[in-house]
Amino acid sequence: MSDLGEDILSDLQPTRPHQPSDDTSSAAPDPQSTTGSAVVATDGVTLEQSSVAFDKHTVLAVLQFLQRNDLQKTVTQLRKEPKLVSLLSDEEVRQLEANSHESGGASNGANESHLNDVLKTYKSDENPDIYEDNYNTLRKFIESSLDSYRHELLRLLYPVFVHMYLELVVNGHEERAKQLMAKFGPQQEFYYEEDVKKLSVVTKTEHLCANNDIIDSFRTQHKLYTLRLSRDSYNYLKRFLQEKSKPNTQIFQNIIHEYLILDVYEGLTRTKGQVEAVAGGMLGEAKRDANKTKVFYGLFKEPELKIDITDIELDETAGGEGGDGTAAEKPKKKSKKKDSSQAKKARTDPNAPPFTRIPLPELRDAEQKDRVRARNDSSKALKLGPEVLPSICFYTLLNAQQNHEMAALCADVSEDSTLLAAGFSDSLVRVWSLSANRLKTMKPVSELELIDKEVDDVLYRMMDDKSTFDSKVLAAHSGPVYAVSFSPSRDLLLSCSEDSTIRLWSLLTWTNVCCYKGHCFPVWDVKFSPHGYYFASASHDRTARLWATDQYNPLRLFAGHISDVDCVQFHPNSNYIATGSTDRSVRLWDVLNGQCVRYMTGHKGTVFALAFENSGRYLVSGGADKRILFWDLMFGYLVAELCGHYDPIYSLSFSRGLEGTMLASGGTDDCIVLWDVLSLLEEIEAEDVSANQSPAVKNNSEQFLLGSYRTKSTYILSTHFTRRNLLLGIGIFH
Amino acid sequence: MAAKDKSTPGAVGHFGVDSIKVIGDQLAISNITDDASRLLAEDVTYRVKCILQDSLKFAMHSKRRTVNTSDIDFALKNKNIEPLFGFCNSDHSPFRFASGGGRELYFNEEKEIDLSEVLTASTTPKLPQDVALKVHWLSIDGIQPSIPENPPPLSRDQQREESVDPAMALKKASQLKPNQQQKLQQKKKKQMEMVRVKQFATHELSVEQQLYYKEITEACVGSDEGRRSEALQSLTYDPGLHQMLPRLCTFISEGVKVNVVQNNLALLIYLMRMVKALLDNHNLYLEKYLHELIPTVLTCIVSKQLCNRPDVDNHWTLRDFASRLLSQICKNFNTTTNNVQTRVTQLLSQSLDKDRLPMASYYGAVSGLCELGTEVQRTFLLKRLKAIGERIRVYFETSNLSTADKSAAEHIKQLLLKVLPQCLKVSPTLNVHNVMTILNSN
Repeated sequence: MSDLGEDILSDLQPTRPHQPSDDTSSAAPDPQSTTGSAVVATDGVTLEQSSVAFDKHTVLAVLQFLQRNDLQKTVTQLRKEPKLVSLLSDEEVRQLEANSHESGGASNGANESHLNDVLKTYKSDENPDIYEDNYNTLRKFIESSLDSYRHELLRLLYPVFVHMYLELVVNGHEERAKQLMAKFGPQQEFYYEEDVKKLSVVTKTEHLCANNDIIDSFRTQHKLYTLRLSRDSYNYLKRFLQEKSKPNTQIFQNIIHEYLILDVYEGLTRTKGQVEAVAGGMLGEAKRDANKTKVFYGLFKEPELKIDITDIELDETAGGEGGDGTAAEKPKKKSKKKDSSQAKKARTDPNAPPFTRIPLPELRDAEQKDRVRARNDSSKALKLGPEVLPSICFYTLLNAQQNHEMAALCADVSEDSTLLAAGFSDSLVRVWSLSANRLKTMKPVSELELIDKEVDDVLYRMMDDKSTFDSKVLAAHSGPVYAVSFSPSRDLLLSCSEDSTIRLWSLLTWTNVCCYKGHCFPVWDVKFSPHGYYFASASHDRTARLWATDQYNPLRLFAGHISDVDCVQFHPNSNYIATGSTDRSVRLWDVLNGQCVRYMTGHKGTVFALAFENSGRYLVSGGADKRILFWDLMFGYLVAELCGHYDPIYSLSFSRGLEGTMLASGGTDDCIVLWDVLSLLEEIEAEDVSANQSPAVKNNSEQFLLGSYRTKSTYILSTHFTRRNLLLGIGIFH
Repeated sequence: MAAKDKSTPGAVGHFGVDSIKVIGDQLAISNITDDASRLLAEDVTYRVKCILQDSLKFAMHSKRRTVNTSDIDFALKNKNIEPLFGFCNSDHSPFRFASGGGRELYFNEEKEIDLSEVLTASTTPKLPQDVALKVHWLSIDGIQPSIPENPPPLSRDQQREESVDPAMALKKASQLKPNQQQKLQQKKKKQMEMVRVKQFATHELSVEQQLYYKEITEACVGSDEGRRSEALQSLTYDPGLHQMLPRLCTFISEGVKVNVVQNNLALLIYLMRMVKALLDNHNLYLEKYLHELIPTVLTCIVSKQLCNRPDVDNHWTLRDFASRLLSQICKNFNTTTNNVQTRVTQLLSQSLDKDRLPMASYYGAVSGLCELGTEVQRTFLLKRLKAIGERIRVYFETSNLSTADKSAAEHIKQLLLKVLPQCLKVSPTLNVHNVMTILNSN
């Protein structure tokens, strides 16, 4: 069976970017049902797991899919499965084959068809010598245009350049293409440098069929590259294009007409700063109507806790664990007060989604207790501000340097800051306890049976007190672990790895309880939903996926990024997922229907870190371009840009409390930087925002920088605010 | 085995035709035509570049700035190609260059390891250490404590800048906290209109620093040897001392002044050990305080009396120790502008020429010069050897002189006998015989 899976994988590889996304995203997530409806296999792995209970319909659907995609090897392999032979009657098989022959002619190998597409669209008999002159004409025109139009029109140069280059390559003018690249490649904006380099590798027609994300994104039948122009600049450009008499214009005229989407908006032409702030995406900017859908960015009211607060305090003093027992009387009152104010605020939030918009798991008793504890803690939290800076406690992982065999690659701290997990390049995951409580294992079954299940501290009694550990090693992956994430209830841990699997670990038994196979390439990031149960993953296969812990198959498949999806983050209300990608864009996806609801460009490099502001309205992202960008999710605008790092940013986190007042960022420049979010947001909200006019981007970073703390040559893997607003940093010495 | 072709200019990062042929030879395919190998070379270049671009992603996700062999393995795996097993050098691969027969080659040198040797080796190699977690405070209420786990608050370069331009510190403060600075400036503005305030950098010590200073100085000159070594340890490794440095230097120089007068040998030794600790601290920018440190060290070398009973007490060790410190200072801080070494040597050698110089000081000057290296020994000591010899001969021959001076002469002789032979070995041009006779005649 396993070789079947591999077969499918190898068959699928060339077509990977065009996986059908509709099949999976149509199935509604249903936490109650564990059997899972007929989610069509997007890759072979799902078959493997459901082999126990094949039903006829599924098998037929799979066969149909395979034949439609011309995966003959897999079909024959599948047929040989003994269980299938008994399932399918000869007649059905014959019918299937007949069907496939009808449609078979159309797609003779996705690979070839892809190449043909590219070839077809680019075929032209133009004289290869005029391309350079053409490009020069366009450049001169743009550079001589009025200041007000110039900056918007300058964005034309890059896509025109790429299309010209590809056209030359397709038509076999290798030398000319190289000349064009040598002459104009270095002139492109710095953030296209990587793309240009990738492109310059391609010099022959045969290279075009390879899996190159730049070429994929410029595949012209899709007409993807978008430019936004004001009415005025558009007219100006149009006049220029209509002057037919001019020499050396036909090539780019053609390109602009055929391949580019010119999205014209009414109103003032944007300034240089505005244009440059949102430039950088691999596919240009977002279309005006791409961000029109309403996003419920508010926070809904959490259901009332059914548990009595006094119970927990009794518990705490009895069990003597979790927080300090000294806070007995005072915080109780406070927390109740806060409770009511919170409730009011939530009720009046018009932007919150209905609580039942997506099914969320009910809180268990233990989790409810934890919520109360969290509330107690938050009432005691330090109120941060420019005058009150947090203390930073730094955890350094020693003997885990980068050139070491076991280099730490990622780290995560549980919500209550008691556990620390780190993923290593030798495919291990290690968990440490950060509190005084050492790690415990669950008792063996024979002893568990003896425990009275009605006792209040049953959870405590389940654990074995005799054997405790400072740290635990979890081994099962077969490649570097790129991300780890604790569940909010902190009894589960997720890890994702180069081996393209995601694994779920129980932190009670310290074993691997589930392995989610679905991605067919390395998984870069995985995150638990703040409500538990759901989790999201991001992969090199250009998709992000939504999963539920109790189902093998992904519930949603978010396809749209044209390069690796590098990071993923849940919205605090669990209804949305944000993803950042190597295509230098940030997208927001609706969990309910799998749609992309926001498409935001402005990063000039890969996005490595995302964080939602606590109110849910703002999203921040950071990455290889060393900048932190603030996005307003209401309209998908870039509202602020913070510079202060000298190397890629890998970690972003907001301080606790309803008004997240501080942002901590860290990266490989050995620095934790604190930003004053409160004054930034005040300034942002002072401006009135409308759907038509994008706001000016705040970039006076100095004003919002509260402090920059250097470590002694230690990369920062992760930052985390505890419930009482102590900042934890985790890093590796190098 | 990697080969690159550098014959065609501008083809950096391209596989050459020659390389393909070499690789073909290795695989026992010898009859590759030029055309075929050119095509192959181009294709290989393309594919290798694609793989490298992919491997960069793995490096980025491993939070590394450099691509290493495992990244390339993963990129290959991604493309459904068998990874290249066996290349697991985590550091850079040292390619060696070789040329011959008109061919230029870069190759990875592989050492042959004798397995039997490894198996029979008596000492097994150390096990790699396990991952460990270490905690420290990076910041407390927004202020970074100066502990060894944190980087020095001011790097040496910054300290230098500050010493050159004191206004730097003010500028820096305004950069760090623009918010508060703005507010402050607005408040100040009214006063600023009238008076032109001269900028100066403050050197206030916090309460903790004052406590630390008190503890350190007490421990360094106190009687508890354990505490002293702890204090010296702290002076040697603490990264955040720069603010206290002016005070510490003054403490040392004042201490020496007082204790030389009182002939307190023990305290002088303790103070010199403090100097040593400060010199060993790599986080400090000491240049600013040399004008205080060099005279104190020189005092301990050439002072005519350092202890109450010069005939019995061992003040020679202090002089030797201070001489070593002096040479360390010269080595570390000598530049063409300050000419520390020249000035020090001049001072010492001129004092040797004085007739009335006490014998103890005489010893100090000689020992100071001895520590400054063979070049100095040759030019300043050998030249004066005869004079020195005559000077000390007096003490061996006449009997009614003080025992202190006699022992000084004895020490000078021992010192010269120890140092000069080495100096002579280096410079055989000198008349060895002549020198040796002078030495031996004593």
